[in-house]
Amino acid sequence: MNDRHWKDLIARRLMLISGSFLLILGLLMIFMMYQRSKPILALTPLKDLLFSLSWHPTKGQFGLAGFIAGTLWVTVIAMIIAVPLSILTAIYLAEYAAKPLRGLLKPFIDLLAGISPVIYGVWGIIAIVPLVRDYFMPFLTNHLKFFPFVSENYTGFSALTAGIVLAIMIFPVLISVMEEVLHAVPFGIRESSLALGATQWQTIKGAVFKKAWPGIIAAIILGLSRAFGETMAVLMVAGCSLGQIPKSIFDAAYPLPALIATTYGEMMSIPLYDAAVLAAAFILLMITILFNMAGWGILLRMERNQI
Amino acid sequence: MEFKTPIGVRDLSVWYGTTRVLNHMTIDIPDKKITVILGPSGCGKTTLLKSLNRLIELQDQITVSGQVLVDGENILDPDVEVTHLRKKLGLLLQKPQVLPMSIYDNVAYGPRVHGMKDKKILGELVEKYLRLSQLWPEVKDRLHAPAARLSVGQQQRLCLARTLAIEPEAILGDEATSALDPVSAQQIEQLFLELKNRYTIVLVTHNLRQAKRLADHVIFLYLGDLIEHGPAAEFFSKPKYAKTKAYLEGRFIEDFKIDRELRLKTPERANTIQQVQTVLAQMEIGEILKILLTDEASVQGLIHKLESAGHNVLELRKQGPAQWEMIVQKQNVSYAI
Amino acid sequence: MDRRRLEERVMKGLMILSTLLVVGSSVCILLTIFLKGVSAIDLNMLIQTPKGGYYLGKEGGILNAILGSLVLGVGATFLAFLVSVPITFYLNLYLRRASRFSYILRFLFDVLYGMPAIVYGAFGFTLMVFWGLKASLLAGMITIAFLIIPIMARATDEVLKMIPFELPEASLAMGTTRWETARGVIFKQALPGILTAVLLAFGRAIGDGAAVLLTAGFTDSNPSSLFKPVATLPLAIFFQLATPFPEVQRRGYAAAFILTVLILMVSLISRILSWKFTQNVVR
Repeated sequence: MNDRHWKDLIARRLMLISGSFLLILGLLMIFMMYQRSKPILALTPLKDLLFSLSWHPTKGQFGLAGFIAGTLWVTVIAMIIAVPLSILTAIYLAEYAAKPLRGLLKPFIDLLAGISPVIYGVWGIIAIVPLVRDYFMPFLTNHLKFFPFVSENYTGFSALTAGIVLAIMIFPVLISVMEEVLHAVPFGIRESSLALGATQWQTIKGAVFKKAWPGIIAAIILGLSRAFGETMAVLMVAGCSLGQIPKSIFDAAYPLPALIATTYGEMMSIPLYDAAVLAAAFILLMITILFNMAGWGILLRMERNQI
Repeated sequence: MEFKTPIGVRDLSVWYGTTRVLNHMTIDIPDKKITVILGPSGCGKTTLLKSLNRLIELQDQITVSGQVLVDGENILDPDVEVTHLRKKLGLLLQKPQVLPMSIYDNVAYGPRVHGMKDKKILGELVEKYLRLSQLWPEVKDRLHAPAARLSVGQQQRLCLARTLAIEPEAILGDEATSALDPVSAQQIEQLFLELKNRYTIVLVTHNLRQAKRLADHVIFLYLGDLIEHGPAAEFFSKPKYAKTKAYLEGRFIEDFKIDRELRLKTPERANTIQQVQTVLAQMEIGEILKILLTDEASVQGLIHKLESAGHNVLELRKQGPAQWEMIVQKQNVSYAI
Repeated sequence: MDRRRLEERVMKGLMILSTLLVVGSSVCILLTIFLKGVSAIDLNMLIQTPKGGYYLGKEGGILNAILGSLVLGVGATFLAFLVSVPITFYLNLYLRRASRFSYILRFLFDVLYGMPAIVYGAFGFTLMVFWGLKASLLAGMITIAFLIIPIMARATDEVLKMIPFELPEASLAMGTTRWETARGVIFKQALPGILTAVLLAFGRAIGDGAAVLLTAGFTDSNPSSLFKPVATLPLAIFFQLATPFPEVQRRGYAAAFILTVLILMVSLISRILSWKFTQNVVR
């Protein structure tokens, strides 16, 4: 083989190695974290790890239920706020907005995706915490004296605050995927519907959406996955007080990623502490892998059916 | 022309950006007949068709001027309720685009969109129009299966049923059989022939043979201009103008090389004829004269005189609300016209 | 019939409102950071490292974090580049578009793309323990590199997918090998696009807090060795805002401002490059 062929072959092999590297990386992640968290299962059965509320590492009690609950509170609030707004905005961008406007807004929304999570946390402290503390909470607790609004936490650092900040963080992901999916619906469907005398909204509701809805679901799954795993911003505004399970949107919450972030320092000092925390990370890993696979799986199948 | 005209256009011009796609089109569509819009690709046929139900507005950068009359009303008026208009004119597209739902829901979509909720009536409508489109026997056992599973020919018939279900007055077809296999295409053509007793039908096609099979009336467009129109029998056997003849014979359509140009402004008929006579006298046989007129009345009179004198009227084109362009080729050396 | 029109108007109004809310909240964030941060900035902050008692309100600046973030970012981006670009070139040039392996690989990118930063941090941490590394610049670089590889790979893939197949085809038809085509023809065409991807990844690298928290540690000194902890802007912001002293918090806002400006600049440049790329792509 001559010189040029050698170069080609080597280059090809190197590229293949990089590809396999990625594959190995992914598998390694799963494997190593599983290994390091296994010891905790010797002490605490899985049922207790997931559902027990008592988190006292010094006493050897590692119940993650409180943190899982915190994650759920914050994530659900974020989704309730973000999903309707994202759907509406995505429809507007894909179906109604004039081309120049769309060309301006889409990159702007993408720009937001690149902003550091810590910045969102800072803004949350400056703007949202006072908003919740001084306006939302007094107003709502006085008028709606029932679950999930009643609370004793007057600091403003709460599940609601984290939910609001998180919602804004996941707008870019939700909106961009939804908009792409809507845009990919063939023009002929809109044309046929309008030719029959439907209004634009009727067309979107009755025909376009029917074609695009799996993609909308995929977007929601991906947004959910993003909301689940966010650490820094939530850490700064959710309150993160140990021993409290949120029973109100105004209560402090301590989501799972925040737990991992705050305890890394003490992890090595108490036996099995690191295993417990890594178990939490492993749970997070598996959940996000599952959600991501589901979300991208849907989008991939939609793309292939299009052909 | 002696016929009822539910649809007509007056001086309709359409621009796509800065390019003019339709040029001062003035034409009437006869009632309860099949009118075929004929011409080579890219000549404005689809634009004309889609202007009738204002679907052309979906494209970017479209400017429209002139009038489109449906049942006597100018539908280009901004106050017009477009959804009502589109209920009157059903459109069948080239690529059968079934909606992403069941067969039943596809046909019921139109009526539902316009407010029909009664399940019993909907069921009857669905069956009636599926029967009319000759699709009923093939789908009656799987009405709630996804429409996407049908073959292309079946899909187009479904689109027809769907269009009929809104009970329009006219059916517009944009190359409705071009994407189909010969058998399905024949089925659709057969359906058009049967439906013309109840609906006014306007079809766009570039398929000359199909036009001959189906047309009662023909409109021939070339590069956005209305070249010729008339009853099918006359159009195909005795075409009047040069470009029509070229098209029907399969020759390339060429633009005329103008030797002289004459601009007529006075409306007096006698004067008009005299001016033309003077100019023609100065020309050689075979040379081509372009006459610009502003008066409709003189146009017909002039054509008559020129033809009886033996000259060839090659083309008559309307260029504006009061502007005609006539192309004449001198054939006879005669001073008495 | 009026009901339909009404419904359309109402929905359209809701949509516009929603879009305004989304855009408005984003603008609000940027404005707040700018306003709070600009007033707090002074030259000292930029050129000094924190002196003793910094977090209690004493003298110093955030130079350590600025330099630390830049060094970490550049290192991580470089490492990620070494892995991402070959993979995507392989995907686009050597594999046929619909081959199974390419689907698997792309799917892998997408799944890794969505992994939370904290999980990368935890993973980095386990690697550190495994190799006996302490919290350090190197550990941080490697972890962040892992984090941004999917981001860079995805962006590069998008860029390469845009190059029409005719281009490598024409080159290969002349008898060049695929490697030569990749290097000479495609790389040149795709260069602005690849730079966009690199910048995008860099922006993400300097903005991350969760993964560096567990792997790079924090320090008051400027970056000096690969094996010592390093300061980063996100963590500097985080720690400063956690103190009860208003002066320190103000400095946190200033640091947030600097970080935001950095990221926006990087985003803007990458956008301009991307625009240049789409202008020049052979159609």
